[in-house]
Amino acid sequence: MSLSPEVTAKIDHWISKYPPERKQSAVMGALAAVQDDNGGWLTPELIDEVAKYLEMPAISVQEVATFYGMYEHKPVGKYKIGICTNISCLLCGSDDVVSHLEKKLDIKMGETSEDQRFTLKEVECLGACGGAPMFQINRDYYENLTLDKIDTILDELD
Amino acid sequence: MASIEIDGKIFEAENGQMLIEVADAAGIPIPRFCYHEKLSVSANCRMCLVEVENAPKPLPACATPIMDGMKVHTRSDLAREAQNSVMEFLLINHPLDCPICDQGGECELQDVAIGYGQDASRFAEIKRAVPSKDIGPLIATDMTRCIHCTRCVRFGVEIGGVKEMGAPGRGEHTKITTFLDAGISSELSGNMIDVCPVGALTSKPFRFSARAWELTQRDGIAAHDSLGANIHYHVRGQQVMRVSPKSNEDLNEVWLSDRDRFSYQGLSAEDRLLKPQIKVDGQWQETDWQTALQAAADNLQQIQSTEGASSLAALASGNSTSEEGYLLQKTLRHLGSDNIDHRLNQIDVSDQASAPLYAGFGQSPEAMENINSALIIGSNLRKEQALINHRLRKAVLKDRGLISEECIGDVWAVNPLDYELNLPLKGKLISTPDQTLSDLAGILKALQESGASIDAQTADIIASVDVNETQKAIAESLQAAENSSLFVGQLAASHPQFSQIRSLATQIAKASNSVLNYVGFSANHAGLSLAGVLPLGQAVDTAGLDANNILNSADIKGLVLLNLEPEQDAWNSAAVVDKLKQSFVISISPYASDAAKDYADVLLPSAAFAETSGSYVNALGQQQSFSAAVKAPADARPAWKILRVLANLLGLNIDYDNSAQITAELVDIAKQAGDIDNLQAASLNNLEMLKSGIQRIGERGLYHVDSVVRRARALQATEDARLCEAIHLSPAQAQDLQVFAGQSLKVKQDGNEITMQVMINAQVPQGAALVYAGTAAHSQLGGCYGVLELSA
Amino acid sequence: MKSLSSYVKSFALAELVKGLGVTGRYLFKPKFTVQYPEEKTPMSPRFRGHHALRRYENGEERCIACKLCEAVCPAQAITIEAQPREDGSRRTTRYDVDLYKCIFCGFCEEACPVDAIVETRLFEYHGEEAGDLLLNKEKLLALGDKLEAEIAADREQQASVR
Repeated sequence: MSLSPEVTAKIDHWISKYPPERKQSAVMGALAAVQDDNGGWLTPELIDEVAKYLEMPAISVQEVATFYGMYEHKPVGKYKIGICTNISCLLCGSDDVVSHLEKKLDIKMGETSEDQRFTLKEVECLGACGGAPMFQINRDYYENLTLDKIDTILDELD
Repeated sequence: MASIEIDGKIFEAENGQMLIEVADAAGIPIPRFCYHEKLSVSANCRMCLVEVENAPKPLPACATPIMDGMKVHTRSDLAREAQNSVMEFLLINHPLDCPICDQGGECELQDVAIGYGQDASRFAEIKRAVPSKDIGPLIATDMTRCIHCTRCVRFGVEIGGVKEMGAPGRGEHTKITTFLDAGISSELSGNMIDVCPVGALTSKPFRFSARAWELTQRDGIAAHDSLGANIHYHVRGQQVMRVSPKSNEDLNEVWLSDRDRFSYQGLSAEDRLLKPQIKVDGQWQETDWQTALQAAADNLQQIQSTEGASSLAALASGNSTSEEGYLLQKTLRHLGSDNIDHRLNQIDVSDQASAPLYAGFGQSPEAMENINSALIIGSNLRKEQALINHRLRKAVLKDRGLISEECIGDVWAVNPLDYELNLPLKGKLISTPDQTLSDLAGILKALQESGASIDAQTADIIASVDVNETQKAIAESLQAAENSSLFVGQLAASHPQFSQIRSLATQIAKASNSVLNYVGFSANHAGLSLAGVLPLGQAVDTAGLDANNILNSADIKGLVLLNLEPEQDAWNSAAVVDKLKQSFVISISPYASDAAKDYADVLLPSAAFAETSGSYVNALGQQQSFSAAVKAPADARPAWKILRVLANLLGLNIDYDNSAQITAELVDIAKQAGDIDNLQAASLNNLEMLKSGIQRIGERGLYHVDSVVRRARALQATEDARLCEAIHLSPAQAQDLQVFAGQSLKVKQDGNEITMQVMINAQVPQGAALVYAGTAAHSQLGGCYGVLELSA
Repeated sequence: MKSLSSYVKSFALAELVKGLGVTGRYLFKPKFTVQYPEEKTPMSPRFRGHHALRRYENGEERCIACKLCEAVCPAQAITIEAQPREDGSRRTTRYDVDLYKCIFCGFCEEACPVDAIVETRLFEYHGEEAGDLLLNKEKLLALGDKLEAEIAADREQQASVR
């Protein structure tokens, strides 16, 4: 398996932002690009490819890929819902958001729905405490959630 | 300079030093796990927290630079509370399996827990468990025990030069592991066992076999390369249980190569020779020492009288002690023969009259750390002398702890193989062995063109050589550098034109004002040369036969082998066994190989490296004496004692009570020899090309260098040893021959044909094939260099 | 005066009478001589007799070759050698107790983290030939198997105070 030209173009874009001998600085961007290209998750083979492309030890890339929460190592649904459960959101009722979503989608946290549309994931603070409780669907933030609002948001998704 | 106060005492310290360094130097104990004096500071275990006055919180001593007037308390209430709390956290997930842990009894966590731990855990939750992984035949893992100090990770990055261990995951899910199912391939990997403060990484060959408190520590000298690394034997009863490094900043620092660490397994090989044996009518008979030695002496004397003294010869392995070599050459010269040698790996010794007496380093390992420009000639430096490679790597990488590719030193290579070195090469000339001379000549010519003077004869010969850009760059770099060095290795030494390579290298060194280092030679190459185990030595005028000629000459009728297995050790092993069968062969060896049983007539069991006293002289000319760590098994005796009796039976009256008396004589001889000038060589004769065809590159396998290492089971199971069994072809070459990896290929050299598995190796240049020397294939094929015929 | 009184006493056989008095007194007192081997004294569950090696209920030997008993033994009566077993677990390949050396101090069972080596209530043993009292792993395990019920009961009884 090797990286597609579109992906390498994206990685090159990230590499170009750093000095030439600091290629490995592009690792996070590269992983994100590869993950997007692979339907939202990373395989060990892809990690190895990124390592080769950036001339890094594969284990170093794996360290990065497993450290950050936004990299997935299992297949995820089309919509990855990351619910913040940190202190501000918790005080403003993220527990209700979680239980509502779990009931509505009939999956537990960390699981993917059978139709491969939704994945529920607990995330740490996303820095949107002003709009707590909040969640993130793929890359979009949804703040000041109420149960009705959640239903609307989910209904509006295709 | 700054003065700081630790626990009420004032200390003077250098600016930039960390607190823990000052405390260590003063002998003030501060508990620590992640800090290691030879590794970068990561400050992640937090065990070394100390109280610093005016600091709001306790500070980690390993990562706190000193400041003038700083007041530190390592045992105040605040410090103790911080240390005790950290200890409690570390013990939360550490299993209570000390009774089955090999580290038990020598465990840093155990020791520190005695001082800082509580008697019972307050942690009622479930402990973390981490599956262990098979990371190769040398290191056993129990990752549940890991406390994430990351010493092994930093060791890999900073010392080993390849990052193999890493710490994927975050928080409680962090695991120290390799990528997927990769094993550890570093030639220094055994040191991870030493740096691991807990029982997460332990020695696999040593696994469960002994406890630290049962072992006696004895000193020794590593027997497999010319650095002379200092080691500790850990002995139980009369068995070497394991080997660990003895710190010596001048040589091996605190490290040890895997070869030196795990070779002790060869001591307990199955084919250990336990009793003297003589061949009677083609049958081996066990006998007593008296009979065996008498038979040996009688036969040698008979050959001397019937065939003449020049039909006698002796060969010693490069890891025989100086004392053994001294007695061997004394005995042989008493009989009137000069046919004696220990340079089994060399074929071209035509310059021995003008070359330095032995091939050593031209500078100390410490000085190598300041090299600005280095040229590696014919050497797999990383494997054949790992700790010298480490010094050079330090010189190249800007700063300890930084994986910066930014160099202060430039390293260049002229090699027949494009080795995967763990330091960045500035440039390289990779070509088949027949090109080596012209590659080097080009560099010399570039030096000449930029103003260096070389002698007329050489200038004449290299006049027709074209200089390419790389050669020019190498010449410029060597010339411009303040400290420049050349490293000439084993691929050069075993090259059929070694005298010409030596001549060129010497002239390059002279012309560029560089230091010349010979690397990768056997442990006692220098000592044996000094002791006179050479056909031409200090006190000898007419040269006898050299190793290769002794083994191939029909005139040799009587041969004494010392710790040697020519069927694998020789430059050209294929013809050896048949040849040796024609002669009377006395094999003084710890082992009785099948081949030896075939060709030898008398087998005398000798003590192996940990079992004998004596001395080695390393590549720096330093003599290092050692005594036996254990007794040789059964009837085996130290070879110097065997040779003493043999010499007396042959009428040479020598009387040594112990090896130290011989050592004393050798010290005088070494004094007479004085300092060896490495910049000596014969003048350049020609740049003749070798025969064309697919060139064999006969690198000696990392774990095939001598009879002991070849019998070390764990080393033989490593990737480095396993890839020695195959024939390595470049991808293009394989395509030409239409063969694939794993396929078997008929390999023909000097009329001998064998079948070998193909390995595709991009390091091999087109037009060459790598067949390792010292291996089973080597013993059936032919010389280290030569032309191969390959057919699918 | 003193010599006179002893002179009289010796003629009156006073010593003899006194001695017979003791004999007579004990003749009618309850006897506490134990008629060994028909009778036996009561025995503490902590009795330190002949050694045995125990197994778990599933038949797996308990000993993990930690060598703490070997280290603690003041008489150096225990010799252990260990190797990884085929399944990778840490096991002894040799476990010898030299009963000639043993002083029955019980440190070995104190040191054992897994209750493998125990001193049983068995004290009536003998060796008929030289070397009979050199116990090996086989003999120790066999005795452990034989006496397991008793050993287990004793451990159970002592559990609260150990």
